[in-house]
Amino acid sequence: MGKRILWVLILLLSFTLVTGVQAADKVYVNGIDANFPPFAYVDKNGNPDGFDVKALDWIANEMGFKVTHKPMDWDGIIPSLMAKKIDIIASGMSITEKRAEQVNFSIPYWKIAQVLVAKNDCGLSVDQILSNGNKIGVQRGTSEAKWMKDNLIKKGKDFSLVEYDSAPLSVEDVVNGRIVAAAMDDAPAKDAARKKPVKIVGGFGMASEDFGYAIRKEDTELLSTIDEGLKRLMASPYWEELIEKYEP
Amino acid sequence: MIESLTVLYGALPYLFRGTLVTIALVAGAMGLGLVVGVNLAVGQVYGNRWLRKAIGIYIWFFRGVPLLVLLFLFYFGLFSLLGINLSAFTVAIIVLGLITAAYQSQIFRGAILSLPEGQLKAARALGMSDRKAIVLIILPQALRLSIPGWSNEYSIVLKDSAVAYALGVMEMMARAHFVASRTYEHLPLYFSAGLIFLILTYLGTKGLRVLEEKVRIPGYSR
Repeated sequence: MGKRILWVLILLLSFTLVTGVQAADKVYVNGIDANFPPFAYVDKNGNPDGFDVKALDWIANEMGFKVTHKPMDWDGIIPSLMAKKIDIIASGMSITEKRAEQVNFSIPYWKIAQVLVAKNDCGLSVDQILSNGNKIGVQRGTSEAKWMKDNLIKKGKDFSLVEYDSAPLSVEDVVNGRIVAAAMDDAPAKDAARKKPVKIVGGFGMASEDFGYAIRKEDTELLSTIDEGLKRLMASPYWEELIEKYEP
Repeated sequence: MIESLTVLYGALPYLFRGTLVTIALVAGAMGLGLVVGVNLAVGQVYGNRWLRKAIGIYIWFFRGVPLLVLLFLFYFGLFSLLGINLSAFTVAIIVLGLITAAYQSQIFRGAILSLPEGQLKAARALGMSDRKAIVLIILPQALRLSIPGWSNEYSIVLKDSAVAYALGVMEMMARAHFVASRTYEHLPLYFSAGLIFLILTYLGTKGLRVLEEKVRIPGYSR
């Protein structure tokens, strides 16, 4: 009895150690929010896919480095970068002043607008949606969540925010009727409109933002490699192919 | 409906691979919890005043701080500060294991205290050292008595393991979420994830039940 338990424990321990060993080769790890189609998600076979994933793969190939993509919780993605658990965030991250205090951003590669998504049969305008004490969904920790709090709610607009783990979950609640509309980037909004009975109502006054890849402040070499890679990618025909394929 | 089923069918292999991660997390955490928990229990029952106090603080801490906070604390804080680069999977096992050790220690302590006090005295009278008596006489009985309580702890750790995704561990629940985000089939996917958890709970508690019967001492009162 005692022996058997001991064996089980030895097995478990060795398993833990084996899986804990880190690869020796330097491979850059890209942290992605896999709940953010079409920029980052996992495909049918469970492999990371999406606009940013394929773009970074191309850049890695072009610039001669290796990269793997690691799905992460969005809430913990910048702490993960700072703690060196990942080396880069190529996952539809908006360049904001607040984030730029902590990390460096690559050159912008995509312009994104923030929109409201509502049910297909919703007849309200943007102004009507953002009033009457309506509930509006948004993904927690995003630039649009912060902007709406600072610029609309604090300035006396009469609606309340409901925060979700991911943009698709907020769309789910729009369909359920629990919230009137959800605020998100226009690319995932288009993705949602293709798959669910929802439509894009329009922008809500937030200025458009740029997506960039985030890198630790001290990794200046990696930053210039990525910048150069992005420039070459955007000049190559593959860029159009990516846009065609993922329709961001 | 048909569409949901197709999505679900396609996602099953991916979910099953996540189920293996979940099982590995739970097995690792329960194993670590067993080793640490037994030692804590013995220390709390037979240790001196200072040891008992220290163990009391350990248990108070790990039962009192939420799992998510401990995960962040260890992964981004403690291990990073110490310069030990452990994978998220390993950290999740350690944290889940240390928490369940605190709970398990109380299961074992209850079992040890339920044994007649005379046993230790009898073992001493036979010339056994205290250490030997605890390992050979007390623990074999106490561990048997602990199995029902332990199976309770198993089902709790199983469900807690889903929180490990906060560190990026690709366990089953996180995978269900990913597939739902891509396909917008949230309900069928969460439903399946729930079903897999139910099956795992059933198998685990059933297995422990069988173990309990198997290791029961014949003729010994239950």
